[in-house]
Order: sequence, then C-alpha cells, then structure tokens
Amino acid sequence: MNKRPGRAVPQVKSPQTGGMPPLTRRNLLRSAGVFALAGAATTVGTLPAQAAVRAPLAPTGFLHGVASGDPMGDSVLLWTRVTPVPGATPGSGAGADVTVKWEVAEDSGFLRVAARGSVKTGPGRDHTVKVIAGGLRAGTSYWYRFSLAGATSVTGRTRTAPAAGAPVDRLRLGVVSCANLQAGYFTAYRHLADRGDLDVVLHLGDYLYEYAPGEYQARDVVVRPHDPAVEMTTLSHYRRRHAQYKTDLDLQALHAAVPFVVTWDDHEFANDAWSGGAENHTEGAEGTWAARRAASQQAYAEWMPVRFEPGGHIYRRFAFGSLASISMLDLRSYRSQQASSIVDPAIGSPARTLTGEAQMDWLLDGFSRADTQWKLVGNPVMIAPVRFPSTLSSQEIGAVEQLLGTTTIDGVPYNVDQWDGYTADRSRVISHLRDNAISDAVFLTGDIHSAWACDVPADPLTYPTNGASVATELVCTSVTSDNLDDILRTPPRTASVAVEEAFKAANPHVKYLDFDSHGFSVLEVTPGALRMDWYVLSDRTNPASTSTLSTSWQVTAGSRAVSRVGGGAL
Amino acid sequence: MRGTDRRQFLTLAAIGGASIVLSATPGVAWAGAKKPGGIPAARTRVYVLVVDGCRPDEITAELTPRLAALRASGVDFPAARSLPVMETIPNHVMMMTGVRPDRSGVPANSVYVRAEGAVRTLERATDLRFPTLLERLRERGYTTGSVLSKEYLFGVFGERASYRWEPSPVIPVTGHAPDTATMDALIAMVDSQDPDFVFTNLGDVDRVGHSDVTGTTLQAARTGALRQTDGQVGRFVDHLRAAGTWESSVLMVLADHSMDWSIPSNVISVDRILSDRPELRAQIAIAQNGGADLLTWTGGEAGRVPGLAEVRRLVAGHPGVLSIHEPGELRLGPEAGDLVAYCRAGWRFSDPYIVSNPIPGNHGHPATEPIPFFISGGSPRLATARVLSEPARTVDVAPTVGALFGLGAPKGGYDGTARITAFVS
Repeated sequence: MNKRPGRAVPQVKSPQTGGMPPLTRRNLLRSAGVFALAGAATTVGTLPAQAAVRAPLAPTGFLHGVASGDPMGDSVLLWTRVTPVPGATPGSGAGADVTVKWEVAEDSGFLRVAARGSVKTGPGRDHTVKVIAGGLRAGTSYWYRFSLAGATSVTGRTRTAPAAGAPVDRLRLGVVSCANLQAGYFTAYRHLADRGDLDVVLHLGDYLYEYAPGEYQARDVVVRPHDPAVEMTTLSHYRRRHAQYKTDLDLQALHAAVPFVVTWDDHEFANDAWSGGAENHTEGAEGTWAARRAASQQAYAEWMPVRFEPGGHIYRRFAFGSLASISMLDLRSYRSQQASSIVDPAIGSPARTLTGEAQMDWLLDGFSRADTQWKLVGNPVMIAPVRFPSTLSSQEIGAVEQLLGTTTIDGVPYNVDQWDGYTADRSRVISHLRDNAISDAVFLTGDIHSAWACDVPADPLTYPTNGASVATELVCTSVTSDNLDDILRTPPRTASVAVEEAFKAANPHVKYLDFDSHGFSVLEVTPGALRMDWYVLSDRTNPASTSTLSTSWQVTAGSRAVSRVGGGAL
Repeated sequence: MRGTDRRQFLTLAAIGGASIVLSATPGVAWAGAKKPGGIPAARTRVYVLVVDGCRPDEITAELTPRLAALRASGVDFPAARSLPVMETIPNHVMMMTGVRPDRSGVPANSVYVRAEGAVRTLERATDLRFPTLLERLRERGYTTGSVLSKEYLFGVFGERASYRWEPSPVIPVTGHAPDTATMDALIAMVDSQDPDFVFTNLGDVDRVGHSDVTGTTLQAARTGALRQTDGQVGRFVDHLRAAGTWESSVLMVLADHSMDWSIPSNVISVDRILSDRPELRAQIAIAQNGGADLLTWTGGEAGRVPGLAEVRRLVAGHPGVLSIHEPGELRLGPEAGDLVAYCRAGWRFSDPYIVSNPIPGNHGHPATEPIPFFISGGSPRLATARVLSEPARTVDVAPTVGALFGLGAPKGGYDGTARITAFVS
C-alpha cells in the first residue's frame, strides 16, 4: 500500500551527483569495490559492517548471498543465485544451465554433514537456486552453503522449526516490512542480523518497490537509485530489481543468519494491487495486468526463499511446536478492487472480498485448530478499524490519507486498501474469533510505515464501554519507507505527536501509535505471554544508523488485549 | 430416590454452629479425630476445585488474588478449554471419567430421553455409565470424597465417592449451596476423614453469572461472587497450611465452562422457528442447554431424514445460530438426539418457549469454551511457576489425577491426556 507522493518534484541523487553525507560514504564504498566476495566462504557474523549496496563487480560466483526460509520440523528451504559466467547477469537470460551443489551441516566447519545434493538451474529461472533440504532434525540449527566449480558461497545459518506438538518455551522473531531501497539503508536488517537470538524473521511485505528513481524515495532524496532505472513492469525488470535488493549487504547478512518467513504485499507487484489490477498499473501502456502479475510472481518465486511457485498460492501456515502457528496471508491476489468513490460505496458488500473464499476458509480453520496455542497471522494490511479524528487539519488529514492509503467517501475517510475497506470479510474473521472464543489470535501487520499496538474490538461501538476484544494487532513500522513526518515534512516526533493522540482518542482500542519512526520489531512468544519490542533507527539515510528500543507491549495468554510492559529490551 | 439404608452418616459441627452431614459408602470406615502430623512422606492429597462457570480472564491479581497466586505459583494451561456440550454435568462427568460423552452417556445437562418420552436433566446416578475416579481410586484402596454444590451434580455422581456431602442449605431457585457452605463441608470432610482425593464444585460464580442482569457492562454481582469464591479458595489453602498438609497437597483448579452474556433480544427459539411448520414441530423434541439446543426426531422413521434436513435448514437460517452438528461430530452419543445447534456469542436459546430461558448469562456454545485450568499446591511432585501451551481439556482431569495415584487407564483407555508435564518426574 502506501501511496507514492507523485512522480514530480523529487530531487534524484544519482551516484554521480551525490556528494553530501551519507551519499559520500555510499559512493566511497561503491568506488572502492570491496564487496566482491565471489567464492569466499565468509562465515556469517564476520561480514564487513558496511551497509551499502554491493556493486556486482565480481564476474562470477554467488554474488547475491544465500538465504533460507519456511522452516518446518524436518526441512528448510535454501536459496541462492549463481552467476556462472560474467554475462549471466540477473534478468539477462544469458548463461547456460549449471548444476549447483549444496550441503547442510550441523557445524560451521561442515564436518558433520546432515544433507547434501545438487540442483540444476539456468536462465529459465534466472540462475536462482531453491532447494528443500529435508531429513533434518526439528528445532536444530544448521549451516549451509552452495558451490559451483571452484566457487563456494558464503555460509548461511538456519534453524528448523520445533517438532509438531513439542513444548516450546520461547520463540523469537524479527518482524519487518516496507523496505524501500531508494529511501535509505537497510540498517534495520543489520541490527536484526547482529542479535543472534532469532528463530525466524517475519517479512510482512513490501520487500521491494516497483518505482523508478525519483518516483518514491526518502522525502525528496533518492538515497540509492533503483535498478533498472524504470518502474518494473516486465520479467526482466522484476528480476533485476530483486537482484539489486539482494546485493544489499545488510539484507544479505540477515538472510544468511536467520530463516525468513515472507509474504508479499502490493509493491512486490505494483502499488495498491488487487486481483484485477493496481493503482500503479496502466493497462495497455504497461502491458496487461495478468502478464505483469505473472512476471512479478515468477521473479518473486525465483528470488525469494519461499515455498511458492507460480500457479500455487503463497498463503500458508507454519507451526512451532505447540506454542504458535503463523498463518501468512496473501491479501493481494484475490481481493476485489478497492472502493474509490461514492459510485462504489460498497465498503461492506459481502460481494467484495479481501482474502478470497478459499483463503478465508483456510484462515478461519487455522484459528480453530487446537494444536497450537498462539495463532499468529502474518497480515499484510491492518485489520483493526481506524476511525479518523474529526479534529485534524486538512493538511494532517491529507498526510495521513497518503500514509494509510485512505480515500474520502461522502466526506468520511475510509482506509480502502486495508481491512477497513472490506468490512464483510473482517466481520467474518471477528465473528469467528468471537463466536468460537479463539483465545490467542495475534495479527502481525506491516504496510503502513508506522507502529501500532491495538486491541481488535468485538464491536468498535461498544468497545469504549466494555473493552471487549477478540484479538490483538501489532504493527511494525517501515525499514525505510516514508511515514507521517516525511509526508508532513516536519522533524520526527513533532507535528505527528498531536495527530497520534487524536487517533488514539478517536480509536480507544489503539493503545500505542508512532507515525514517524523507522526500524524493526522483535517478537517474543512464550506460553504465558507474547511481547513485541519496537526499535527505531536514528537515521534511515545513514548506513551507520543506530537503533534504540522505543517501546514494548505484551499480550498475556488468554487476555486478547495489549498492555505496555517495561523492564528493558528482550 | 437414594436408598438411605445403603448409606452411613456422620454429622459434624461446622463453623457458625451449623451441622454438616457426610455420608459414606458401606464398608468405608469413618476416621477418628485426625492425627496431628505424622504424614507419610509418600502420600499425596489431590483436590480438584471446580470454580463453576469462571472465565480465565476473570482470574486477576486484583479481583481474585488467591486464585491468581495459585495459578502463578503452579502450572498454568492458558489454552485450556471445555468440551461439548459446554455445560456443567457433562464436563464434570468428563473430569471424573476421562472419557467423552459418547462413552459416558452424559452429553448435556438436559436431554430428551427416548425411553421416557420426556426431556429431563441427567441427574441420576444411573445416567452415568462409565467408571469414575471416585470409585476407581476407592477400589485401589484410596479414599475419595465429593463435595458438590449443585443438586444435580450430587445426583449424577451419587454414591461413587467414599465420602459425600449432600449440598445444604440449597438456595431454592438455583438448586445449589452457597460457596461458604460448600467450603465448610470440604474443610469438615478433609479435617475429619482426610480423603486422598476430593472433587469439589463451587457454584456461586456460575449461579450469579446466570442471573446477572447487568450483563456485559457492569457485572457487579458476578464480580462480587468472584471475590467471595476467591476468598473461599484462599480459606482452603490457609486451612491446608495450618493443618500441615499443604506440602503433600496438589490443587487442580479449573472451570467446567465459561460464561457468555446475551441481551434480551438475542434469543433463539427453535419452537418459534418451527411455528409455521407444525408438522415438523410435532416431531421434534427440544432439550435446551443455554447456548446449545439438542434436537431429537420423535416422528416416524420414514420422515426422519427429510424432516431433520428441513429442521436443520430452518434453524441454520436464524442469524443467532452459529452451527449445527450431528452428535457424532462432537463425540456426543445417542443421548444427545439427532442435531446439536450452537448459538453465536451474545445469543442464547430459549425453548420450548421464548420465556423459558430468561437468564442472560449462558454457556453451552463454543464462545464458552475457554476455561482456567491450573495445577498448584505445596507438593514437591509439582513443577512450579510454569506456563504450558498444551491444549488441556476438562477430560484430562481423570488421567492427570490418576497419574498422581499410579492409577491405570480404564477399560478402553482414556480420551483425555494426563498432563504430566506439570509434574516433576
């Protein structure tokens, strides 16, 4: 989601024109060309701390890092991309088929190999490699690497999920979304990679953005221009853009350190995507939506460590022993078009859907399953209702509308891109949770570049008097993408604070709201409580940005309500 | 109904001058005055306390400090749930048998009994067809007790325990003894007979919950009952400590179901739904269980399948109806009839007449499944301050308590799971 501010105005800082900090640092790093690591078996944790995009200067080898994802009790998905010959660049279609070897070991020295094999790849899948390493032990850490001819990838570390039904005392997840490369550095990923205590990283979407340089960046500054320098619309574009993101060292470090569980939101395709199109798609001029979506999904399947292949569905569920399940939603592929004007007033029409029927049935069934305690939902767009305060200035309303993807219908702002725009589907979820007294459902949400901790009211009208909540929602902020202070063009934590207070007053179920900060979240799940720590970056445009704990909120088991918790960081 | 010739009685003085009458199974000796100290090291006393109708979120340090402290110091199962039908009698029966209603014969509070051609409460000892912990432990040489505040619970468990208390004084409308009296009886039984295992039901929280006309907003009476009951549980703990038996005691605290409140307009009457179809209505018996209606086809066999299909269609069309099941789907036996209809949260059934169920607090439907469920006490056999994700159920009580006494599974095995993770091996 998140509407771009428009195509005009921005001040594009190309690598050639850069000169002000932090661009100086980036250019220095680029010109130094020190990140050619092809063939180097660099162990995770010892990667250099620089945060710039690594220019793919090395001609061959594993230039885009390694990744793992979708851990299960006995298997995990391993990913890499190989450049077998100098010309076989991403999206080029060049280069022959090759067979890449992989191995998984119980130790970093690969003395105790648990699984190994080889897999063919080639230009048909952009020389990406995806393999399911099976026969592994549950709840166990492993090391893995790939090799081709004399080149060996960096060593990645991964971890299988605990066995089904097994008791789990603690699960820790990094939670991230909305990483716009043009808007800054991925230091949030770096800080997560450095922790060393995460079982999984949950990426809730907007892993990459479709825009051309100058179309969407850090306020007016393009911190790092996108490649290719056009809006991605074709398979080659999508592949190259994925490849560019995968050259970011911070992202590489996190991928190599922790298995990801991902879903997509809209920017993996185009802004405000729905089943038949997108706000940022012009049918005809940019090809057909069907072709564009197929291209973006193919590139996504090739370049992401995810158990998804074109033609399948990405919504899927993972279990971590008896402690928690995570249902990852796809809220783009099946949704009806967003309501957009008074001629389309059917916000609540049962004929419109956000999830599609099959995914809805699957989601509700997951809530009712007794095999896991916490029912986490990887929820790309916000489900808690958000009513706009009546006290905002027109400028504030405009800015928040831009942030939340809001449309004003009959004078009332509606968050048409979120669950607020699909109230029939939301009612089905909330009724199911309430009618079946589902105890520990928690929506983990991204998309809107801001941090929220909310109860999900059984009924927003009676919530102020009875506090009845059916679930909770924790929203992580953006890794880099613009938020309210950026849109208002004010310093962080100034103008936005009053807007946040107005929103909380108009929405008593919203207990915490930060419209300004960028960063990441750490989620800890235990049988007694679930807790999220929000970390904020000092400066997203500084590759050496520090991060500090902003706040912590918890949901105690059975409470279906958020409460603030102190005591320092996890 | 109960032959007094088969029972022995013991009358004890209780606090406040009232007398408490306990009965015992023939052959069970009355103990003399309790011997001070001298507890065999290996002995474990187990007390199951059912806080009837308590919701897990009602146990808080502010409102119920004694229960909250027990939960915090013991082993908590926050994912615990009641089982169909989420009513008092079937869930107490599941606790004591460890098997589901299709094996115990007790699927609900109220059923249509074909042989009798009438809807009635399952409150007879003969309604329960499966062995319970109360007599199975007794047969192994342990002594057991039942201190059940509700008359129908006293009825269905009958004379199975070594020592029984018949609820008294009973409040006429609710059919239960107040928790103060129940706790008097429990303490008197423990003091005088010191059974190895006692099964206790505290009915106030449920009974006040049913009648709390303030509904979901104030719940003043409910809050008061929770405070009172919490105090009674605290009184029991204090008593065990004072008696020196705390260190050998395991307290299993749970509810049989929780509670959901409806507003007066949210009433479903199957009788009314079928009012335009008198030919169907005449062939359906309705056993109302608050949040669940049990429907039984009483007509001829020829019309049964199409008739039930039509009833299902009509009832499912009501906006307050959540779902309709065949009893087998819910592991309810033939006693549950032919169809089980659940209401949504915030609704209730009222049958056969719209005024039959005037009480706003109800259970029986899935919204009332979450229950508190924790194991606490001073026994060194217990883990301390643990929270477990395991999906504990009411049916787990018998296997769990049985495990503490080394009791094997009954014939055909348990349907529940022994929650032995709570114990130190």
